[in-house]
Amino acid sequence: MTKPKVSSDWLAGCAGCHMSLLDIDERIVKLVELVDLRSTPITDLKHPDEGGVDVGILEGGINNTTNEEVAKMMRKRCKILVSLGDCAVFGGVPAMRNFFTIEESLRRAYVEAESNEPNSKIPTDPELCKPTLVRAVHEVVPVDVFVPGCPPDADIIFYVLSELAQGRIPDLKKDKLMWN
Amino acid sequence: MLNITIDGKQIEIAEGTTVLIAARAAGIEIPTLCDHPQLTPYGGCRLCLVEVDGMRTLQPSCTLPVMDNMVVRTDTEKTRDARKFILNMLFSERNHFCPYCQVSGGDCELQNAAYHEGMTHWLLQPNWKPYPVDASHPYLILEHNRCILCRRCVRACGELVGNFTLGFEDRGANSTLVADLGIPLGESSCIGCGTCVQVCPTGALIERWSAYQGRETEVEHHKTICVGCSLGCGIDVLTRDNRLTRIEGDWDAPVNSGVICEVGRFHPMGEDRERILTPLVRKNGSLKAATWDEALTIVAEQFKGKKGKASGFISTRLPIEALDIFHQIFKGLGANVTSLEEGMATKSSSQLAEEIKSPYEARMDSLTKADCVFVLGEDITKDHQVISFFVKRIIPNGCKVITLDSAANGLDNFAAISLKAKEGTETEVVNTLTTALKTDKADLSDISKLACINTDMLKTAIQILKSSKKIMVICGQTKVKKGSSGLLKAAYGMAKQIGAALIDVKGGANSLAASQYHLDEPINVEGTEFCFLALGDERPSQQLIKKFEKVTFLVVQSSYVSPLTANAQVVLPVQTWLEQEGTYLNSEGRLQKATSALQSADGVRSSLDVLTGLAEKSGIKINTNWKTRLTERVSPVTIE
Repeated sequence: MTKPKVSSDWLAGCAGCHMSLLDIDERIVKLVELVDLRSTPITDLKHPDEGGVDVGILEGGINNTTNEEVAKMMRKRCKILVSLGDCAVFGGVPAMRNFFTIEESLRRAYVEAESNEPNSKIPTDPELCKPTLVRAVHEVVPVDVFVPGCPPDADIIFYVLSELAQGRIPDLKKDKLMWN
Repeated sequence: MLNITIDGKQIEIAEGTTVLIAARAAGIEIPTLCDHPQLTPYGGCRLCLVEVDGMRTLQPSCTLPVMDNMVVRTDTEKTRDARKFILNMLFSERNHFCPYCQVSGGDCELQNAAYHEGMTHWLLQPNWKPYPVDASHPYLILEHNRCILCRRCVRACGELVGNFTLGFEDRGANSTLVADLGIPLGESSCIGCGTCVQVCPTGALIERWSAYQGRETEVEHHKTICVGCSLGCGIDVLTRDNRLTRIEGDWDAPVNSGVICEVGRFHPMGEDRERILTPLVRKNGSLKAATWDEALTIVAEQFKGKKGKASGFISTRLPIEALDIFHQIFKGLGANVTSLEEGMATKSSSQLAEEIKSPYEARMDSLTKADCVFVLGEDITKDHQVISFFVKRIIPNGCKVITLDSAANGLDNFAAISLKAKEGTETEVVNTLTTALKTDKADLSDISKLACINTDMLKTAIQILKSSKKIMVICGQTKVKKGSSGLLKAAYGMAKQIGAALIDVKGGANSLAASQYHLDEPINVEGTEFCFLALGDERPSQQLIKKFEKVTFLVVQSSYVSPLTANAQVVLPVQTWLEQEGTYLNSEGRLQKATSALQSADGVRSSLDVLTGLAEKSGIKINTNWKTRLTERVSPVTIE
């Protein structure tokens, strides 16, 4: 049996879910025995294989056009898509900006923030992506497995990955189901 | 009895029961959000929907009365789908992002319900409409974004507290919890009892003091009683690592059934005074740390040498055991001994009991059926707030409240009629009303002139009293000017005349016990050369501080530093009410145990230990059978 290929990426999140993944500590050796880790944001390979992977993992919500593209590419190239963490599942902390207009948030960040130089401007380079409403991943592409948590506990991530590696869809219940 | 089948289980249940209660009785748990055992069913959240044979649609079990031969199913695909759908709708309505919510992680009923249904995500995203946060209240924060419109707080405010501050304005998704007519909570008629926070299923209402101090999984619960007043409400003290995190009302407590007031819930949370951690003895003009042995030896020597010129004063916040030993020590040596309350709240009730030779007061629960409450000489919304809740919450049932006193009373806004008598004439007014109720033809013009009350108002009061069937007279004496101690007797006379039940609210936590031990004389420090002042954790008033300024040898037992301890020759550190344990006799005659919720520091002792130590050093034999002595004097209530 060939090892299932796993790719991951992060969108509008804080990287905390990937840090929590690393918190599985020495169990990562066991995991690598079970799966073929392909592209991740913390390794050299940055995009999932064109030929496709078995499991795609996305951390973070979708808050701009680039995030949309990344999510769509991951969806296209993976068989099972996992939403990892509260931002991917619900929108999370970045989604709090949805209570304001995009113009307001940009102005606050680039003009009004205390750390800005005087006369700072909102960047307008046409090459930059466009900010959008912050959405959960499943509002943009269909998601197969939801792993809420801020971040999900390392044990829960290990459980999810080991279940997927062994060809099962993880069922998050009781003490494995945590939104905070 | 009706027969009902729930999830295949056949049960027999009384008519009038709801399906939800019947299911619970059968051990079947139906998820709910708006339902609360202490509140009337509302049927607002629809989480408790069940399938009933023969009914076209799903039915809310919390408001559905049981019918004979009903067949109910609580856990079918249809109900599960409905519940999930309802939860999805609730989550989409406002901001229910969990990670930064105070109650997330076990304390949120909404989150728990979602976990129960195995929800890993939301089908509908929120509509991103921001709602305001009302942080204008000194104790509470109202976070509208977390509100699920279940109206538990509204029902608690009205049904349990009788204050009717909280309500709703607008309809549908725009429904908003409002205080009064939509003003900030901090400026509203809210009395800060915090009952709304205790019943809130989400993080919409949170306490400033306890927020983020520890979740249910991290705290310890200690059921004990509040010593804020003579009622002795049951409370649940939450602690974490020997630190007070929150105080809640104990739903199972026989006295208060869960409601407590500002004094019990919030006042202890703001405690910031300096603790005394070791005995202190005055040497060369300043207080120096000493051992317990050293300090108690000095006190005992001084005490023995000052026979006849010694006096002892004890706080009624301390347990009965301490009051009894204190009385034995000081009475045994012929000292002047009394409580700091000086019997102001109890003297006349004890005397009346001795005169009548039997208990004459009713229990607080007789209030539930009253159709008229006559409150005399006391603002129960200040010093005995929970009693005022008991009164206010029966007003919507048609109960009429009459107040009689000389100053503004918190109950005035709730009263059918407020009689404001000239200070010192309250007793005469009561006596005249009694005569009028007896003879029908009493002349009201004299009393009207004397007490400065309009004759028509007196007539209305008489009319209300005459037309009522179950009258309750609540009498207090702390707000009455000295010299009108006849008020209670007059109240008793009136109650007897009209067949009413009488309650005297009394004073501090062990006010009644103190008077049972004859600790109800005025404080007299004249000619005193040795004075032992047994305080607990109270804040001494300026008057009290002044009284003891000139005492030559002052011993103060206290938990906290105060001008009194600064002025003392010997200071003995004692436990606070949350650290000590002991027995309290409430105003209705219930003997209740207070348990220890916090551990005190090593150098600090309980009042009982301090007084026992003093008795040993002074060579006084102590009899610990306080219970027999407690009932030696005829009491105004039956002691149980």
